[in-house]
Amino acid sequence: MTGTSEHELVERCRQGDEAAFRELVDQYKGLVFAVIARSITNRARAEELAQDVFLKVHKGLPYFRGESRLSTWIFRIIVNALSQERPDLATTSLDETDDGRPRLEPAADDRAFADLVMKDRLQKAIEQLPVPYQVLINGHYLKGLRYEDLAEALEMPLGTVKTHLHRAKRRLRHLLETEFR
Amino acid sequence: MRCDHLEPLIEAIADGSYQPGAADAQHLAACGVCAARLADARAIDGLLAMREVAVPPPAFTATVMARLGQERWKTERVIDLGFNLAIAAGILVILAGGAGLAWSLGLVRVSIDLQAIWEALGSFDVTSRFLSQVQTIAMASALLTMALVLWWWAETAAD
Repeated sequence: MTGTSEHELVERCRQGDEAAFRELVDQYKGLVFAVIARSITNRARAEELAQDVFLKVHKGLPYFRGESRLSTWIFRIIVNALSQERPDLATTSLDETDDGRPRLEPAADDRAFADLVMKDRLQKAIEQLPVPYQVLINGHYLKGLRYEDLAEALEMPLGTVKTHLHRAKRRLRHLLETEFR
Repeated sequence: MRCDHLEPLIEAIADGSYQPGAADAQHLAACGVCAARLADARAIDGLLAMREVAVPPPAFTATVMARLGQERWKTERVIDLGFNLAIAAGILVILAGGAGLAWSLGLVRVSIDLQAIWEALGSFDVTSRFLSQVQTIAMASALLTMALVLWWWAETAAD
C-alpha cells in the first residue's frame, strides 16, 4: 500500500467511514492473523486476539499520527496484545544468553516423519521464547514485513533487530538441543 | 577455542548474513561439533521459512465489524443512560424548585383557596420570593439544557 492511499484510508476511517475500516481489516487481517497464530496455537484464541487487535486499531486510529507506517503501528499493537496474553514471557530480557551445548539429533530415520516431529518441536520451542523474540521470528519469516518494520515496532535500532534475530534463533537452537530433544 | 568464537555466529553464517573468513571456514570444515551446529541452524532456518502461514477464516472481517457494532452499541447505551439520568435529575430539580417556590409563596396551602392564589400573585411580594428561587430554577434549566445537548450530540454521532 502506498503512503498516500494508506493516509487516505486512515483519514476515511477517522471520519467514521465503515467501508474504509472494512477495507483496512481486509488489507491487514492476513498479516495480523498469521503473526498471532504463530504464537498462539489455540486457533480460536488466536482468532479472538486478532479481532481484539483490530478493535484496538479502530479505537486508536484517532491518535495515530502517521509518523510510522500503518503496518508498523499495527504490528506494535500485536506485540502488546501478545505480551498481555503471555505476561510470563513479555518482560524477559532479550539480553539473556544461554549456553546449551548438546547438538540437535535427527528425530527419526523416516525423513517425512522426522520433519513433522521437528516442526512440532520447533513450534513448542518458539512458544518458550520471550514474546519479542517470538514476534521477531514469526514476523521475519512472513512476507511483507521488513527489518525496518520490526525495528520500529519493537523500538529497536535496525542493527539490533538483526542481532536479536540471530540471538532468538540461537536460543531456539539451544532449546531444541536441550528441552525439546 | 575457535568453537567458542564461532558458536554465537552460527545463525548469521547459516542465513548468509555473515561470511566466515578463511580460518573460520577451515575450522567449520574440520570440526564436527561446529559443522553439526551449522547444519542444525540451517535446518531450523529452513523449517522457519517453510512454516505454514495461517489464514484467517472467511468470516473474519464480518466478525470484526460485528464486534465493532457491539462496542458502539455499548457506548451508546452508556450515553443513553447518562442522558436519561440527566433528564431525570433535571426534572427532579425543577419539581423541587417549583415545590419550593410554591411553598414560599404559600401556594401549597392556597391551592385549595383560589382567592389566596390570586392575592399572592397580585402582591408585590411575589417577585422577591420568586427571585429567592431563581438559583434553583436556573440550575434545573441548565441541567435540562445539558441533557438536551447531550441527546442531540448522541443522535448526531449515531447517524
